[in-house]
Amino acid sequence: MAADKGIVGDMVASMLWFSAYSYSCYSAQEHSALQSFRATTAALTSSTPTAASLPVDIVIETIVATLVISLGLVLGTRPLRPIQWNVWAGKLEREGPEGFLDSEGEVNKDYVGNPFRLLEARPGFVDIRKQRKEFAEWVKNGGQIQGN
Amino acid sequence: MAPSLLHPPSQLSPGDALQLSQQAPILLQSSAGAASTSLFSGLLAAPETAALWIQYENLLLSCLRTGDQRAAHLCLERLIARFGDENERIMALKGLVKEADAQNTGELENILKEYDQILKENNTNIPITKRRVALLRSMGRLSDAASALVQLLDFSPTDAEAWSELADVYLVQGMYPQAIYAMEEALVLAPNAWNIHARLGEMQYMAATAPGAASGSYQKCMAESLKRFARSIELCDDYLRGYYGLKLVTNALLKEQNKLAKQSEEGEFSLPETKTIERLNELATAKLSEIVRRSTAQETGWRGYDKLEVEAARKLLSDEATAASAIER
Repeated sequence: MAADKGIVGDMVASMLWFSAYSYSCYSAQEHSALQSFRATTAALTSSTPTAASLPVDIVIETIVATLVISLGLVLGTRPLRPIQWNVWAGKLEREGPEGFLDSEGEVNKDYVGNPFRLLEARPGFVDIRKQRKEFAEWVKNGGQIQGN
Repeated sequence: MAPSLLHPPSQLSPGDALQLSQQAPILLQSSAGAASTSLFSGLLAAPETAALWIQYENLLLSCLRTGDQRAAHLCLERLIARFGDENERIMALKGLVKEADAQNTGELENILKEYDQILKENNTNIPITKRRVALLRSMGRLSDAASALVQLLDFSPTDAEAWSELADVYLVQGMYPQAIYAMEEALVLAPNAWNIHARLGEMQYMAATAPGAASGSYQKCMAESLKRFARSIELCDDYLRGYYGLKLVTNALLKEQNKLAKQSEEGEFSLPETKTIERLNELATAKLSEIVRRSTAQETGWRGYDKLEVEAARKLLSDEATAASAIER
C-alpha cells in the first residue's frame, strides 16, 4: 500500500509542476497574442511578432518551471533496475516476481524468473507419464491449491 | 503469485498445474476465433499474437499432467490447424499426447517405432530426438537414453539442455565422473548460470560422499564443490542454495581437517587454508540465518525463496546448534 501512496503522491507532484510549466507557456502565448494585436492595430503587415522579445519574467518563469519539472521527474521515478549481474540475480532469488512490478503494480510482462532454470527443468525432455503419476498421487493424498 | 500460462509449466507444483489447467475452458473459448481457419470468424476475432500459441502449448502440457485429455486434444488440434502436421515442434507435441494416452508397454513400443520412423526420414529433427530420449528414460532404458543423447550431442553440441539431461541420466546411474563432465559442458555454454554452478557443486559433493567413491578423489571433489558453490554465490547475491551448499561442504571439511591437511595434489585446485574455510563457514551461517529469519518473517523483498528450501536451511542450522550444545555438555 505504501508503494501505491508513493505513486499517487508522485503523480500529484508532477501534475503541480506541469501546471507551473503550462502556466508559463500560457503567459508566453498571451504575450505574443497581445503583441500581434498591437501589430495589427498599428496596421503593420508583418504577421510574425518577434519571439525574441519576450519579457524577462516570462523567460525566468519558463526556465524555473522546466528545471523543477525535470527534477520532479528524476526524483519521482521508480528505483532503476539493477544492471550488475549478481545484484540482478540476487533480486530475482530474494524477491521473486514481486521485485519486478511495473508502474501499475502488475508483474512485468517480460519477467521470466531465473532464465537458467530451464536447464534444470528441461521442458524438451519432459517425462509426462511420471508427471501424471505424481499428479494422481497428489490428488489421492487430498492435495490443495496453495497460495490462495 | 498465480502461475502464468506464458511460462513453461515443467517446474510447477501440482496445485499450480491444476490451477492452470482449470483455465482451459476459458482460454479455449475466448480464443476460438483467432485459432479458426475460416476467414470470416478470423476477421471478427481479436488479432492473433505469438503469446497465444505459447499459452496453447503450456496449457496442453498442464492439461496432460492433470489428465484433462479432452482439453489437451483440443489444444493440439488448434496447434496443428495453425502450424501444420510437419512442424517439428508440433510433431513432438503430438508424440507427447500419445505418450500420455498410452495404456501399456506395447503402445509405448509403438510410439518409439514411430519416432524411429520419423528420424529415419529426417535424422536432425531435434524435438523428436529429445522425445525419443525422454521416452526411453521413462521406460527405464537408461543406457539407451544415454547413447541416444550422445548421438544427439554429436550433431548438436551446443544444446545446453541436452548436456544437462545427459548429466542427469548419468547421475541417476551413479556415474559421477561422466555426469560432472556433461554438466561442465553445459556450464561452458551458459557460464553465468548460477543454479548450474550450484548443481555442479552438489554433484561434486555427492561424488565425494558416495559410498563407493575412491578415497583419493575425495579431496579433489570437495575442493571442486567448494569452488562451485562459491562461484554460484559470486554470481547471485543471497543465493540460498549456494550458501546451503557452502555450509554443508565447509562443515564436512572442518570435521575432517586433520586427515586432509597432509595430502595435496599438484596441478589441481587445492583446498584453501583452514582459516579461510572457517571464515567461509561463518559467512554461510550468518547469511543463512539472515535469510531464514527475514524470509520466515515475510519481510518485503524477501518473499521470493522457496518455502521448502528455507525450511531445509533452518533445519541445517538448528541441527548444528543442537550438536554444538551436546559437545559443550
